[in-house]
Amino acid sequence: MSRNQSTALPIAYLTLRILIILNWIYAACLIALLSYSFINEPFLMRALNLASPAENPALVMGVRAVAALGIATVPMNIAMLKRLLAMVDTVRVGDPFVAANAYRLNAIAWLLLGLQAISVVVWAIGKAVSTPAHPLHLNAGLSPAGWLAVIMTFVLARVFAEGTLMRQDLEGTV
Amino acid sequence: MAIVVKLDELLHQRRMTLTELADKVDITLANLSILKTGKARAVRFSTLEAICEALSCQPGDLLEFEPDRGSAEQAQAA
Repeated sequence: MSRNQSTALPIAYLTLRILIILNWIYAACLIALLSYSFINEPFLMRALNLASPAENPALVMGVRAVAALGIATVPMNIAMLKRLLAMVDTVRVGDPFVAANAYRLNAIAWLLLGLQAISVVVWAIGKAVSTPAHPLHLNAGLSPAGWLAVIMTFVLARVFAEGTLMRQDLEGTV
Repeated sequence: MAIVVKLDELLHQRRMTLTELADKVDITLANLSILKTGKARAVRFSTLEAICEALSCQPGDLLEFEPDRGSAEQAQAA
């Protein structure tokens, strides 16, 4: 595969930039929705198919907690995407095997772990507040692919760290 | 490092410059300079062979082990 003709890097760079912007928009929407749920409670009640907040206060609190957790994931997503963007930049300049990228991958692995943990909390909230009369279906929980990504990223971070050390050794070899 | 590279000494004895040696052994002047100044971390056998052939010497003529030098450097680093 030719290095110069690869379109993967420009596509990755552009996609990451777009994803960062989309995350900000996602945060703004969630903040607006959460605020609006306090300002205009009937709106939230209609969405949850409730007559009043007293009918199922746990459901109302649960939905708000999930929205708050969604907002909490935004800085994590952006931190992750920015690190990925910095890594793509190092590939673009032709110097990806540097210690900084090993640290970035390690940080990304921890952020992914955090996101997975939040996903489990969201799933638990959904389970706790959902009732047969008012079911709450949340697409969250123990995703095998997500946890595999966490492990893979931790392993990749270690591979990068070892690769960087090996490269440093080679640099001093005559 | 306790291993001392005596390339400078050998070049002086052979009345040869580092540039001339670089041309003979087909190794960049920059890399030979790293070796001469003792900044190299490792030497390939192929490099050692080429230098020994160009200077008509043995690897032992090029490298020397000085235990005191290594411990002094370690103490300095600490």
